[in-house]
Amino acid sequence: MSNIAVVATSSVTPADVSRYQFGSRFGRMDPVCQLGLTAVEALGVKFGSRADIGVIVATNAGSLTTDVQYWRTRNEPGGVSPSLFIYTLPSSVTGEIAIRHGLTGPNLCLLGGCDQVLGEAAEWLRHGEATGCVCVECDVVATDAGELAGVPVVARAWAAFLQRGGGGIPLTENDRDLRSLCARVRA
Amino acid sequence: MDQLVTDLKSRIIETLKLQDITPGQIDENAPLFGSGLGLDSIDALELVVMLEKHYGIVIKDIEEGRPAFASVHALAEFIRAKQPTK
Amino acid sequence: MGGALEIAIAGCGAVSAVGADVAGLREAIRNNTSGLRPVPRFTGAAFQSNIVGATTVEGEDPIYELADRALREARHEAAGRLENIPPARIGLVLATTKANIEALERLTEDRPCAVSARRHWQAQWLAEDLAAAHGAAGPVQCVSVACISGMLAISQGAKLLQRDLADAVLVVGADCLSRFIVAGFSSLKALDPLGCRPFDRDRAGLSAGEAGAAVVLVRGEGATTIAGWGGSNDANHLTGPSRDGSGLALAIQRALDAARLKPRDIGYVNAHGTGTPYNDAMESLALRTIFGNACPPVSASKGMFGHTLGAAGVLETIVCVVAATERCLPGTPRLTTPVMAEVLHVPQTGARVRHSLKLGTGFGGVNAALVVRHE
Repeated sequence: MSNIAVVATSSVTPADVSRYQFGSRFGRMDPVCQLGLTAVEALGVKFGSRADIGVIVATNAGSLTTDVQYWRTRNEPGGVSPSLFIYTLPSSVTGEIAIRHGLTGPNLCLLGGCDQVLGEAAEWLRHGEATGCVCVECDVVATDAGELAGVPVVARAWAAFLQRGGGGIPLTENDRDLRSLCARVRA
Repeated sequence: MDQLVTDLKSRIIETLKLQDITPGQIDENAPLFGSGLGLDSIDALELVVMLEKHYGIVIKDIEEGRPAFASVHALAEFIRAKQPTK
Repeated sequence: MGGALEIAIAGCGAVSAVGADVAGLREAIRNNTSGLRPVPRFTGAAFQSNIVGATTVEGEDPIYELADRALREARHEAAGRLENIPPARIGLVLATTKANIEALERLTEDRPCAVSARRHWQAQWLAEDLAAAHGAAGPVQCVSVACISGMLAISQGAKLLQRDLADAVLVVGADCLSRFIVAGFSSLKALDPLGCRPFDRDRAGLSAGEAGAAVVLVRGEGATTIAGWGGSNDANHLTGPSRDGSGLALAIQRALDAARLKPRDIGYVNAHGTGTPYNDAMESLALRTIFGNACPPVSASKGMFGHTLGAAGVLETIVCVVAATERCLPGTPRLTTPVMAEVLHVPQTGARVRHSLKLGTGFGGVNAALVVRHE
């Protein structure tokens, strides 16, 4: 894997969201998309208009919190919220990242696959499915949704930008999840 | 200014969770979609829900609502036409 | 883009609105029948249409039932290829968009919801339990990329084999009908009140469906092999397909390149064909971009069993397998006036197809193309 470079990494919490400008439509997004986009923004990478950059997102809880929030709107006059429904797709964060940065490469969203993200990205890069890959691990679980589903409350995201060749820290066989990779890069 | 127009501006901001925009910054004669506020088809659907929730107006077909979403002013006129007693 | 090493489909399983197995699907293809029916629980102001592609499966954990039955059937057909593979070398890839969302409805309405049903609201736990029940102790992945999830699960499964992380991969796509989903599509005004009519001039939306669909992938030769795949993102809008079809065309080109094929090598296209005005128009444009005026026969299968979401990519790939095996290119049930001359109204028998192209697109701007080779 020596030819795959870690160009940048980031680690964010909801406190970091307000540090960036995302435009007037950011408020519509669900917390997973907001935090995922923040993690990518925190990479500080200018992707340019490169068609062959892919996006891989891993998430344990996916859209759980938004599922609960959306389903609550069914009792309101006018019925369920169409925009919340769209964000009940766990992969909406993948789409929002691709749209914001103009990335037309392949997409993948893995549920629970946090230790598979870097391996999948490395495969894309090695086999030429993409020349760069934005990798994100993102989870936001609110208290009510967590209690209902029996999963822990959390709000964290990590991101990395990997590229074939070029400058950066080499990715190794031992790098599996973004959390550890970010810690290694910082150390 | 027309109270309904003022109310609508606040409701649009609240419903669509528009950030960094105040009611005063919305021109009631400017197009709601495309340029201007940068609203899209998802926002239009969310406004359909808002019309039912707050004004009791049911829009079955999004095409029916299209002229109403031309501007805040057009939306106010649409609501008045549907609610002649108010 | 992927391809190179031969990956074969050794077995198929399918539970859908047209039957509890692949035999039911085969009959529906031969007779061009539709399984879409009005279902009472989707009647009311919250729903734009009660015409859906329902199976007979119900209960607290319908998605597990759907996936489990499909896996059983696929493993049964592939038994000969699976018998000498140790469990640790069998992987599983699950594709789903909402897993057991039935649990959320039950938990918020004080209706019974077993521990396992609640657990399967989380897709990766559903994947783990399916893997355990079906003897897959190798790598487990859970893919959720909107309506291309099933297609991606097949390419992810193929990659696990190419990377030598497994000797067989059970790929299963599943989603169940729920008020959650049908109310959501209704709020998007995306359902056709008369039931979906893909590629019809008067099409007015999709019909929701449910299914469990499974394929067993193994390395080596077979009657059906995965020749290549490609993906892309429109990077344009979360729900609106690109108006020019360029994103889907890019995915098709990537899949053809990976399979080292030219457009003229494709003998049949199974379109995404949801029946929404924008999707089908965009898809027609993408097909014109790639094939020009030499587009092979096209059909859309969602008039048969509805939009089965996470299962769609797997189920409709099985349609391609059945079509080639039976030498019967499927028609497009519920179609009256096609928007493209190449769209098949009724089944076309006798045609031998060497390569099928399966297409998919989804919310988030995603596109996928899969080339299947038939011996």
